[in-house]
Amino acid sequence: MVIKHQKNAWKSEINDIIRGACGGFLFGIPLLYTMEVWWIGSLVKPRLMMMAIALMFSVVFLLNQTEGFRKRRYSWRTYEALIDTVEAMAIGLACSAFILLLLRELTLETSLKEALGKIIFESVPFALGVALANQFLGESNNNSSAEIYDEQNGLDATLADLGATLIGATVIAFNIAPTDEVPMLAAAVSAPWLLAMIAASLVISYCIVFQAGFSDQKKRRQQKGIFQRPSSETIISYLVSLLAGALMLWFFQKITFSDPWTMWLEHTLILGLPATIGGAAGRLAL
Amino acid sequence: MTKTESEKPKRSFAEWVTFSIALLILAVIMSLVGYIWLNDKNQPPIVSVTNKQTIREINGQFYVPFEVVNTGGDTAESVQIIAELQINGKVVETGEQQIDFLSRDEREEGAFIFSQNPRQGKLTLRVSSYKLP
Repeated sequence: MVIKHQKNAWKSEINDIIRGACGGFLFGIPLLYTMEVWWIGSLVKPRLMMMAIALMFSVVFLLNQTEGFRKRRYSWRTYEALIDTVEAMAIGLACSAFILLLLRELTLETSLKEALGKIIFESVPFALGVALANQFLGESNNNSSAEIYDEQNGLDATLADLGATLIGATVIAFNIAPTDEVPMLAAAVSAPWLLAMIAASLVISYCIVFQAGFSDQKKRRQQKGIFQRPSSETIISYLVSLLAGALMLWFFQKITFSDPWTMWLEHTLILGLPATIGGAAGRLAL
Repeated sequence: MTKTESEKPKRSFAEWVTFSIALLILAVIMSLVGYIWLNDKNQPPIVSVTNKQTIREINGQFYVPFEVVNTGGDTAESVQIIAELQINGKVVETGEQQIDFLSRDEREEGAFIFSQNPRQGKLTLRVSSYKLP
């Protein structure tokens, strides 16, 4: 009995952390693809880094007093919000460092000062996203919507899913495709990093839709589509997001048909990471 | 434990573990920032350029690799590097390159391309300018 209780505590804790991280990804990914933020991070003085941390702490603390990333609140005491704030900031710092490493904006050669500045400045929107995680995609646990889905046939649900993914991915890709970050990142990336990027896209997408426990997760698991299994839905959605990303790059004339296929592949995979996150958000929102 | 607290469920062991990890991450970041704050030299940039590697010749073009490093304190922006090739006392070819940002102890590499053999003349690489961000 005790062991079972402990297992549940670990499970819910890990779910809470994943939910926080997913909120961070939804909110923080556009700024992670903004080179101006990398530059500001590179140039910033230690004094300003401390100020950024203090500012982040106070804003996240205020957000945590009303919302937060935890499903179950024990109480509304101040010290609970303080603990959540420390955790939200740590999630933000860890996740933005991970993405900066993945994008090759942080390497072993990066000087300590530059690396710290980049991580701290990128983690500000990330930590805000963590604190807002519960507010994203609102709480709507009414059973009626699930019943409606049961009545739909598989094909309709699948088409609705793919449409939602396409819309979400296009919204994010539309915002990032015309900027210079994609070619800049593509210039520095090599094949193993592209594979790592594919893996990260799939894992984050899976976590947002099936693991983070956002409000509509129950509904999602009940939904009957052709690609109903979480793993296959994640992969299909990733492919749809890649398609949306490639179309946007082509639409903004960032890549043309005369460009080599390696360029199409690299640019699309790099834009695919934020596009997949947008696609996952789109599927949850519908 | 006071009476009011016992009415509410405690934080679980798992939550304390994640909190400790979070606190550790935050403490490491803050102490690193403190460390670089204390070691901030507040010194102007000192930028130097060298060609350490050997010159390659491919299809009649001569590739001269260079490495630029900032050993000063502050970050330099728009670092301009100029290469001049003098043969028989006359400047026959020049090349230039701009590095966007060079922070403390950062190294950047690149190459100048000449159509005449730099070994036959006098090659000078120098940093001509930078600006402060």
